[in-house]
Amino acid sequence: MNISAKWITTLVLTFSSLALVFVLNPDGQLRILANLLTFAGIYALAAVGLNVHFGLTGLLNFGHASFMGVGAYVTLLLIPHAAGREGEINENGLPFLLALLIGIIAASLFGLLLGLPAMRLRGDYLAIVTIAAAEIFRLLVRDLESITGGVYGIINFSSALQKYRPVFFDEAVISLDLAPAQIWVGLLSWISVFLVLLLLKRLSSSPWGRALRAVREDEDAVRALGKNAVWLKLQSFMLGAGIAGVSGVFLAFNYGFVETTIFIPLLTFYVWAIMILGGVGSLTGPIFGSIIFWAIISETDKIASLIFENADGQQLAGVRFMLVGLLIMLLMIFRPSGLLGKKEELLLNVK
Amino acid sequence: MSNKLLEVKNLKKTFGGLKAVDVEHLSFNKNELTSVIGPNGAGKTTFFDLVSGFQQGDTGEIYFKNKKITKTQPYKISRLGLIRTFQLTKVFDRMTVLENLMFSGSSIKNDSFFQSILNTSSSKKYESDLEERAFEIMQDLNIEKMSESYARELSGGQKKLLELGRSLMKNPDLLLLDEPLAGVNPKLAEDLLEKIKNLSDQGITILMVEHNIEAVMKISERVVVLAEGKVIAEGTPQTVRSNDKVIEAYLGTAHE
Amino acid sequence: MIDQLGNGLLLGIIISVASVALSLLYSVTRIVNFAHGEIIALGAIMTLFFSNPVDSRVIYLDRFSPLGLDFVISAFLAVILCGVFGGLLELILFRPLRKAEVGNIAILVVTIGLSIFIRHLYLIFATGRVQNFPLELERRVTYLFFDMTPRNFRVLIAGIIVMVLIGLLLTFTRIGKAMRAVRDSGELASISGINSDNIILITWISSSMLAGLAGIFQGVINDIRYNMGFLILLLVFAGTVLGGIGTSFGAMVGGLLIGIFVQVSVAFPFMEGHIEAKNAVALGLMIVILLFRPQGIFGQKERIS
Ligand SMILES: Nc1ncnc2c1ncn2[C@@H]1O[C@H](COP(=O)(O)OP(=O)(O)O)[C@@H](O)[C@H]1O
Ligand SMILES: [Mg+2]
Repeated sequence: MNISAKWITTLVLTFSSLALVFVLNPDGQLRILANLLTFAGIYALAAVGLNVHFGLTGLLNFGHASFMGVGAYVTLLLIPHAAGREGEINENGLPFLLALLIGIIAASLFGLLLGLPAMRLRGDYLAIVTIAAAEIFRLLVRDLESITGGVYGIINFSSALQKYRPVFFDEAVISLDLAPAQIWVGLLSWISVFLVLLLLKRLSSSPWGRALRAVREDEDAVRALGKNAVWLKLQSFMLGAGIAGVSGVFLAFNYGFVETTIFIPLLTFYVWAIMILGGVGSLTGPIFGSIIFWAIISETDKIASLIFENADGQQLAGVRFMLVGLLIMLLMIFRPSGLLGKKEELLLNVK
Repeated sequence: MSNKLLEVKNLKKTFGGLKAVDVEHLSFNKNELTSVIGPNGAGKTTFFDLVSGFQQGDTGEIYFKNKKITKTQPYKISRLGLIRTFQLTKVFDRMTVLENLMFSGSSIKNDSFFQSILNTSSSKKYESDLEERAFEIMQDLNIEKMSESYARELSGGQKKLLELGRSLMKNPDLLLLDEPLAGVNPKLAEDLLEKIKNLSDQGITILMVEHNIEAVMKISERVVVLAEGKVIAEGTPQTVRSNDKVIEAYLGTAHE
Repeated sequence: MIDQLGNGLLLGIIISVASVALSLLYSVTRIVNFAHGEIIALGAIMTLFFSNPVDSRVIYLDRFSPLGLDFVISAFLAVILCGVFGGLLELILFRPLRKAEVGNIAILVVTIGLSIFIRHLYLIFATGRVQNFPLELERRVTYLFFDMTPRNFRVLIAGIIVMVLIGLLLTFTRIGKAMRAVRDSGELASISGINSDNIILITWISSSMLAGLAGIFQGVINDIRYNMGFLILLLVFAGTVLGGIGTSFGAMVGGLLIGIFVQVSVAFPFMEGHIEAKNAVALGLMIVILLFRPQGIFGQKERIS
């Protein structure tokens, strides 16, 4: 398939999946669309970060949720918030952007920490270590209730970001009968996606990107040529984790609260599904992968109603995750290069 | 000063009970083309691994340019000017031939994250010089037509050429070639041998493992014979060829 | 500490049996099977399905009515069913992938998708509630110095017997020898006599039967939930890694140690008030082992970097 055919398929699929939302929902389409596009932006950002790890460098990272979690928790704890059972509001805090910056750095450092095993371990072992480390992070966050709010989580932090909303923005959004707070988060996450992609476009065609691809292909050869493969991998881990950190922050703002069950391994698997759907190693793939993915997800209840007459919440959740699992399997089996991945650079058929 | 470029002393490596390498002393002079030969499993590849830092010896010392490089990381050894190739060719499959070469030649500074973001005019200049150099090498090795092909599309022989070219991008002082002719068709093998000889004439010190005895005898100035990890003979091709132990190691069944 | 030892042994025997199963599959097929947890859960859910008395609704859909069979017979049937399921997975999914030369990393991702898919099938069609087998409650009794119910004690003994049996089968039967040969050589082609496809099929079946058994143990000792397998999966990985990936004996001991470690860690001074985080300690141990002794306690030194 040549490039243009690939793009046509991608665009057709993207628009038809969005059109499906209109067909299946007689009313409130705009709201559903806004909701799904917000999630899509946030997850696209996470998938872009994962693509730095896996697509660019070949690192089998299954702990992505923890990078998102570190970014979110560190940022939220630095801005005014309320944590824990008592929910006492902590009024003091840094301005959002400064807190975000520290959150990104924290996520990157956690990436560095998680990357240390990558120095020594082959692919499948790294997968096990990263997923385990992410669970350790989650269990510790849940356990450290006095700081993180434990199972009660963190709330009342939204205004730190929402207070920057311009008046004209509110007016425009309200006139469409949409919720300004959510659209604001969605807008900011899509802006972040594009900024990050601009950066990555530059990086992945640069000597640095070339070096990461070389690490992905053959570490021994990289070392034999005098390059520090370990350091390159760590840098990749840090960059991807930092990007995931931003995504985690927006995820928290979109929910309006944060607690540990958000960052379970399933979150990581969602991001993997999006990355594979968009195309491993493709810069723009996550954008389309994420939109299509969330369009499907947002129609889960319609799909569930084909199976059940009156599906309850549990069955809906079940159907939704079944679809995700099925999607991952079918893609891997029938189209591992996803929508926009290059067949010639297909990573997933590596032995 | 001494003319020794590489020297190993008392180098031992065992796997379980098996002595893979057990070399008391070996040294290699500047500008010499030396071949290391020996039956399969003699420890040649392991010897290369030890010298290039990919494996750690149980005992022993290794000196390169009079610097002790025992227990040094492979990439640091490589930066000193000791470049190796692999018996099972290791090219960057999903990168183009040109990218393979340019990556190899690129400096640490040029590879750096911030340099890459800034993409200054001086780094653009550096890249275009690199590309020029890569094309020179490709022309020299007759693979310039493949410059935009993915490395995995190359034939076995072409991959060997690419690996050699990639090493040359580093302007090595010492080149370790592990079976550079294996799997290469006879016609290409002859060219490749010629290339290796030329490189040696240009002043690169070469240490080569090769099974093709005729080829070895033709171009080597010195031959080292390993069997069961030990040096059983060394000298000029002529002296080695007539050595009884060598004949036994190759033809006799005593050593299995 | 001693109190926790009994609990540790019980958790250990679950993890141990599941780890042996995982390790067996890995050593023969090189598949890191993330869907292993779902086969564990299948054992428990099927046993529940067969054994529950007809009048108590456990299955989500009215269409399926529980059978109310004897518990041991139910467990036996469930184990067989797990074996059939594992065999079908190999025949329908993994064999075609292998023939198409799909890489190990892709297969790992497939098993993740499979795991998510099956797990939520359970959520929909089996149960989202926490359930128990229809067995009478028992009082704890002291055995040597461990406190546990007689039923749990029997589970422990059964687990140990199963382990010994596996050891004997692997050592003395033709197929067991073939499996070990495959593991040791890492080469399927080099095995003469037995068709390598059959070895893999039998491995899938036996690994799945063992996993199902582990799930039944887990159901007896703890409870039954749709995600019970996934909850324990990382501990099973930890047990496998601790003993040394690819060694059955190592997986047995590693699994037991992890179980004991998790439960006993509750009694560590620094764990006071942090019981929820007990699994984190075991997972941390696994990471440390992978970093400093990647071949595990009993594994041969193998290049894994
Ligand atoms: N990683 C290893 N583990 C165990 N034995 C090894 C390992 N690498 C090499 N050997 C053994 O060491 C001996 C020397 O191997 P090698 O250096 O590859 O020989 P050559 O390159 O001369 O054919 C052989 O007997 C080989 O089986
Ligand atoms: Mg060799």
